Amino acid sequence: MLVLTRRANQSIMIGADVVVTVLEVRGDQVRIGIDAPRSISVHREEVFRELEAANRAAASPASGALEGLAALRPPTERERRP
Amino acid sequence: MSANVAEELPELHFAGGLPGFPDVRRFVLVRLGDEHSPFSVLRSLDDGPDIAPAVEFVVTHPSLFFPDYEPEIDDDIAARLELKSADDALLLVIVTVADPVAASTANLLGPIVVNRHTRAAAQAVLGNSGYATREALVPHR
Repeated sequence: MLVLTRRANQSIMIGADVVVTVLEVRGDQVRIGIDAPRSISVHREEVFRELEAANRAAASPASGALEGLAALRPPTERERRP
Repeated sequence: MSANVAEELPELHFAGGLPGFPDVRRFVLVRLGDEHSPFSVLRSLDDGPDIAPAVEFVVTHPSLFFPDYEPEIDDDIAARLELKSADDALLLVIVTVADPVAASTANLLGPIVVNRHTRAAAQAVLGNSGYATREALVPHR
């Protein structure tokens, strides 16, 4: 991993059009600003990893399970708020 | 809107893939079960050496199971999908099928947003929204 030391209001460039700026350092928290083209999505890593895991868990369910699911209907208003 | 999204949008294109499946971009929507079924299957058309054949996801309209669900779609996704108004967007959520099926859950943290005119699609990532990846489809009794 490349390690760089930066102070508040200093930036790092990734490629020609992604700029990561340290905005504020306070205690053990760092506020970071990211300027990137819209084609590059930016996420907190833990949220993105959670979504990856959820997608993998949901992918390609067994065909036997699908038959039962097709019969499942949304709960009625009464079932939803007993 | 027809009863099932599969008739309305036969093919979707995810330019950026999906988290965990970055190389799978083209999908067809196929109805799961009869015409009253709230579910469809999102089946990939892409395969290759690193991709299992025909990755599938079960999807549903979140409004059917979660009437209060109102995710905020950020400007980046709206721009990427060229959404000009809220009416252009169709929302789907991925279902994790469980045994028994009544214990199945929906991913409300990462809804699928579709431009219903161009069929461009993307999975949103709703950080800080409070929504979870496994919300019960059927409330616990």
